Amino acid sequence: MSYRTIGQPQGRVEGPAKVTGEAKYTADVLLPDMIWGKVLRSPLPHARIVSIDTREAEQMPGILAVLTARDLPDLLTGRVVYDMPVLAKDRVRFIGEKVAVVAAEDPDVAEDALTRIDVEYEEVPAVFDAHEAMESEAPLLHPDYRSYSHAPEKYFSDIPNVHSHVTWELGDVKKGFALAEEVFEHTFNAPSVHQGYLEPHASVVAIDPDGQINVWISNKMPVRARELLGDVIQIPQERIVVHLAQIGADFGGKGSLMDVPLCYHLAQRTGRPVKMVMTYTEELMAGNPRHPTTIFLRTGVTQDGKILARQAKVVFNSGAYAAFKPLYYVNIPGAREAAGVYGTPHVKIDAYSVYTNCVPGGHMRAPGDPQVNLAVESSMDMVAEALGIDRLEFRKRNLLKDGDAVPGGPPLKKVRVREVLEAAVNTSSWNRPKSQPNQGLGLAVSHRAIGIGEVSAQLTLEQDGTVQLITAVPEVGTGAHTLLQQIIAETLVLPVDQVRVETASEIFKSDSGSGGSRVTYVGGQVVQQAAVELKSLICAAAAEALGCQADEVVLEGGRCGLQNGSDGSLSLAEVAQKGGEGSPLRVKKSVKVSKSPQVTTFTAQVVELEVDRDTGKIRLLEVVTAHDVGTIINPLGHQGQIEGGVLQGVGQGLMEELKTEEGQVSTLNLGDYKLPNIRDIPPLTTVLVEEEVGPAPFHGKAIGESSITPIPAAIANAVYDAVGVRFYDLPITSEKVYEALQKQSASQGKKE
Amino acid sequence: MTHTIRLRVNGKEHTVEVPSRRLLVDCLRYDLGLIGTKIGCSVGVCGACTVLMDGKLISSCLALAVFADGKDIVTVEGIALEDRLHTVQQAFIDYGGVQCGICTPGMVVAAKALLDENPDPTVDEIKEWIMGNLCRCTGYYKIIESIQGAARRMQLGDTDEGL
Repeated sequence: MSYRTIGQPQGRVEGPAKVTGEAKYTADVLLPDMIWGKVLRSPLPHARIVSIDTREAEQMPGILAVLTARDLPDLLTGRVVYDMPVLAKDRVRFIGEKVAVVAAEDPDVAEDALTRIDVEYEEVPAVFDAHEAMESEAPLLHPDYRSYSHAPEKYFSDIPNVHSHVTWELGDVKKGFALAEEVFEHTFNAPSVHQGYLEPHASVVAIDPDGQINVWISNKMPVRARELLGDVIQIPQERIVVHLAQIGADFGGKGSLMDVPLCYHLAQRTGRPVKMVMTYTEELMAGNPRHPTTIFLRTGVTQDGKILARQAKVVFNSGAYAAFKPLYYVNIPGAREAAGVYGTPHVKIDAYSVYTNCVPGGHMRAPGDPQVNLAVESSMDMVAEALGIDRLEFRKRNLLKDGDAVPGGPPLKKVRVREVLEAAVNTSSWNRPKSQPNQGLGLAVSHRAIGIGEVSAQLTLEQDGTVQLITAVPEVGTGAHTLLQQIIAETLVLPVDQVRVETASEIFKSDSGSGGSRVTYVGGQVVQQAAVELKSLICAAAAEALGCQADEVVLEGGRCGLQNGSDGSLSLAEVAQKGGEGSPLRVKKSVKVSKSPQVTTFTAQVVELEVDRDTGKIRLLEVVTAHDVGTIINPLGHQGQIEGGVLQGVGQGLMEELKTEEGQVSTLNLGDYKLPNIRDIPPLTTVLVEEEVGPAPFHGKAIGESSITPIPAAIANAVYDAVGVRFYDLPITSEKVYEALQKQSASQGKKE
Repeated sequence: MTHTIRLRVNGKEHTVEVPSRRLLVDCLRYDLGLIGTKIGCSVGVCGACTVLMDGKLISSCLALAVFADGKDIVTVEGIALEDRLHTVQQAFIDYGGVQCGICTPGMVVAAKALLDENPDPTVDEIKEWIMGNLCRCTGYYKIIESIQGAARRMQLGDTDEGL
């Protein structure tokens, strides 16, 4: 198909505001009389609060309010399960938990006052490791878990501290292992990493004299945020207006209320608008990072390399609260990918989400996927080697095909994993003879479903002839607004700049916002459907003015003319003015998708690297990333998603780790927590295996969460290929490689 | 204790009364209302707060406001021309160097300073220069393309030929 706007690289609709500094993020909201809030956090991982003395802080000049749990309603909050207090009441469960909040005109004064709050704690036994937390003698973090609001009964477990146990099955795993000729067992670990958005969470609340509560928040699902806030401050939602600001990136981490309830209580107490902005240190110690994960795999195969059975136990260290988890089963969806891209007749996956006295985990881009993929794709290489089969050939013998089911998903259609794998391999150095010692190639493949949820939109033909979109999907940086603009422009045959994008959340009842690879598919559908309906309204109005039938009207280039080419046509401004008398031409719609599409997406990546034996340093020589894609709406944005995801994957593979000792995060600034910089980027080749088969408008697919997943496993496999050392955990730092090579040469020395 | 400082920001003179501990970034954002300069890491690593002080790139989150007394500051708000975006700004939009935009003000200031000094930088020179500006969205590939694209356009007299 050929399109006018779809498929054209399109600069962002909000681009000019962003390059000039005019774009407003939540921290940029300045209101008259605004004051600042700062929180006091727990220095202990698990303790009873004996007493809190705030008298000295309250008496400091410039301090306008000091609040503790006893000043707030006794309510818990969370994205699904309400298990987290707004301020700790009688117990703290992690280092960084909020204990008190202070408001002052000057943020520095508020910060000073925190040091004058005297909290007496009585330490109680803590548990940091998820496996230890599952043992019978472990301290219980939430003995009352089953009574919490929205705790899903279906996933309760009798194992201590397990707040969600989800099982996904295919076939009969016992039977599968009985048929297997060889069985392999492997265990892998991946640590927590932070989303690394450069905008720390910010919140602003201002209460109008008439009682309307105005909220600005770094949150990618504002309609849901309004619901959650209403619950925790006990105010009807109708009184809350969540204003959308730009979001300084999300990567899954900006879906909670964070400090908004505290801003509200301070605003209520002081009668002033209140702003709270987390420092990056607070982000790293108490954000909602990716879950540390342990993956046990059991694999049953035939000797000729057919996978018959896969059993997986995936343990997510959930931290002190489940509040940041947004899915109804309060667990991490990536566990479903534990059979990988391989058609396995018998599968059983058990995912456990476990309370510990660590930072509560949240979602990060492709939640759980990179951790689980590290295990699956490393084990593919290991099993292939043990069976004496080439690792590429072993994969090819087992790839998913049309009609195969994946755990927890529908049977697949239009599966193109083989094409993607071949594209990656053939574009890379895979088939060239190995030239240098200490160089190696690694391969990994991943699968990802296209997201579901509900998105709303309102389209209006304005008096000036432009079309206005109002969306509650915030722009988190992915280019969502530009993509929606293009879909509307294509449908209405308009130049792109005649579609204006504006945001509001209070006019919609329900909206899932941005995330979960949803926007192109669900958001795309709602604006496309709304545009089709608006087009009918426009044609009907034009027909009346032109004295013809609606189906004789042709809408093109912002004008309504007659099909037969006869004289007389109307601009959209004229249609709006004539047809919109009284009420403007307007369509408001919601689209809700509750079943995952059968067409999904695959990514294959090849990494070539070199290991410096003297220092352990890994240098990436080449990364090839191949994707099966549908129609690409905006090639500029699409490629941007791929490239950004690849580098996040590289970060996770080589350098990023939210190091935690006894519950204390030790990488507390961006000097210690290493994000990839511009000198860390590998030479990158992207291969797009295109076919117009996606379920989104114009046969598009999703791309945002694809490219981050296979890289860590591909790196691990390439390191093994280069120097013969297998890593079972991330990140694969120079120190770890150096140490492993020292051990390797020591043991080789012994053998000789 | 407070101090009266005089500074020139984007060509405009300001006199501001600031406490000793006021950071330059807070002075720009909250005393002068120039919220284009962002606060990311607060420790001089991420570069979101990058501004020019007397022609040199600095992290304004590490500088005290009093340090800017008598100095000439350029922020992202001072980059655009009167009637249009600066070539660097337009290139960041056209080549996809902007995603969430939180690093963009610092990137634009840094990239313009680079091209002022070196109108035709190599990829390695761009990497060396931009090393102090983190971006979590783009993977930097399109930031390099944006800077190269801007350089080409400036050499061609700001036509769109570079695309």
